[in-house]
Amino acid sequence: MEAFIQPGFWVFVLTMAGIYGIFALGLQIQYGVAGVMNFGHVGMMAISGYTIAVLVIKYEWSFWWAALAGVSAAALGGALLGLATLRLSGDYFAIASIAFAEITRYLILNADGVTGGTQGTLAIPNPKGFGGYTDQVDVILYWIMDRLYPIFGDETSRDMAMLSVVWPFLFLFIWISSRLQKTSWATVLRATREDDDVPASLGKNVFRFRLQALVIGSAFGGIAGVFWAVQFMLLAPEDFLRIVTFYGWMILILAGATKVKGLAIAAIFFGFLYGATRFLDFWPISELSSPERAYLRIFLIGLVLVLLMVKRPQGLFGKREEMVLE
Amino acid sequence: MTDLIQYLFNGLVVGSIFAIAAVGISLLYSVLRLVNFAAGDFLTLGAFITYFFSVTIEINFFLAIIISMGAGMAISWFLELVLWRNLRRNKAGTLALFLVATGVALMLRPIIQYVFGTETRKFNVDILKTYDFLGARIAHTQLMVLIFGSLAIMTIALFMSKARIGKDMRAYANNPSLAAVSGVNVDRVVMATWLISGALGSLAGVFQGLVQGQFNNAMGDTLLLSFFAAVVLGTIGDAYGALAGGILLGLFMELSQLAIFFGGVPSNYKPVVAFATLVLVLLFKPEGLFGYRTRKV
Repeated sequence: MEAFIQPGFWVFVLTMAGIYGIFALGLQIQYGVAGVMNFGHVGMMAISGYTIAVLVIKYEWSFWWAALAGVSAAALGGALLGLATLRLSGDYFAIASIAFAEITRYLILNADGVTGGTQGTLAIPNPKGFGGYTDQVDVILYWIMDRLYPIFGDETSRDMAMLSVVWPFLFLFIWISSRLQKTSWATVLRATREDDDVPASLGKNVFRFRLQALVIGSAFGGIAGVFWAVQFMLLAPEDFLRIVTFYGWMILILAGATKVKGLAIAAIFFGFLYGATRFLDFWPISELSSPERAYLRIFLIGLVLVLLMVKRPQGLFGKREEMVLE
Repeated sequence: MTDLIQYLFNGLVVGSIFAIAAVGISLLYSVLRLVNFAAGDFLTLGAFITYFFSVTIEINFFLAIIISMGAGMAISWFLELVLWRNLRRNKAGTLALFLVATGVALMLRPIIQYVFGTETRKFNVDILKTYDFLGARIAHTQLMVLIFGSLAIMTIALFMSKARIGKDMRAYANNPSLAAVSGVNVDRVVMATWLISGALGSLAGVFQGLVQGQFNNAMGDTLLLSFFAAVVLGTIGDAYGALAGGILLGLFMELSQLAIFFGGVPSNYKPVVAFATLVLVLLFKPEGLFGYRTRKV
């Protein structure tokens, strides 16, 4: 039980929860508002993170411009995916979006001259010969750590500084998103979720509305990618496996697809599930070796997804009618 | 010329595996409107169960394959009873089916890892034995897969066109309510679909394990998108189409290495050929080779 009282455990869990919360917010705009089932969301995070790493390390851009470029690249990725395949019906789009994310990962994996390939961003050819891409952010994180030190003493960590940056952003984005969902734009999209023909007969271009939702959601995926890149200080292709998209979906379903405000709590629940299997050390978990615990995490996430969809598809805070209608 | 024969042969071998896996996915879609994201892990499971019986317990290889097909059917039967039937009764939507299928895949993989370990495995067959055929090198395992794969494909095709339950399946896929009023037993059709897809998943897994020589627990999942490509190429929901789509995709992937295509696509980009096929079909002919256009918006 020791892990429970270690602050490091909670700091890590909550930081990851915040990042995945921002990630899931993108899916929330896409599915909760527009009914678009994007299963390739992880691709946006990969595009954004790698854009930053390559621009800063290889082309010596400032981190801030690189971050802007990363988020823009993710939004552009969403636009390309949407222009190509969003006219297809839901099943096809879901498959196409998975293919998009897998192609992205495959290109990253094989373009080793640019991305470092399997070895990740540490292997990107660096004109300076050393250094990562987070130097400019680290200055700020260290400044925050200095302010936190008088309160937390030796417990102060970079994770803690990240935590105090990520969560205000999550709340800011949740607020922005909930404002967005009160607009007439969102009302049209909600109408298209249930029926294409009515909004189309009112002269609304259904495809364009959906595309906008996909692009905005992808930008949030890109923002999550920025935080991810800063949190881990290096990226590797296996960070962006298909399963990561489903982490986001799980948070979204836990919260209830249309309940943007439940997202923060759902993210914490997910973060606990994600981190708990790694840190907790009591029987029967203590019987498992460390790689076995990694499977346990995946197993639990699968189990929660299945149970949620069978027992409570509307999520913890959602309304059943809104989920069942599709 | 030798290259052409070699790639053509490899393509037919790979293609017959794709065909067998794809037909299970396509049948499930046609009957249940379910895109089975767990299909890849059923392949892995089939390969590992066969490995367990044939290598660890040392019983006859073919008997082990049959046991693993039975196990695939049993798991599918169990999931239909405890999971899918309830979801159908609750009128679960597309997203729910997607996420439950994913959840099943996420649960299955750790179980395989926990029970069978993460080590690379190989079957107790001579993977180095090759035959010479018009200058092309044909592995013994490839020949096995091609012969038994063709038999399996023919059996499936016959079953779909001749057997009562196969006809019921196609009737139900075409028009569920019409089939139901004409006396087709829906639960029986759905169960049969699951059993077939479970058996075919295991079989395809053994074949893939044979062709690869060595396999680990990521084997099936890595191939999932290639199967989807085969399914979409052959028109989603069309069983015969999936067979054709699988074989065509296998041929595309192998023949793309021929020098006349951009000097030959490097073999580590073979998955990209599958993805590209999927994307191109979705872009230009989403109804697939054998479908007609019904999409809207």
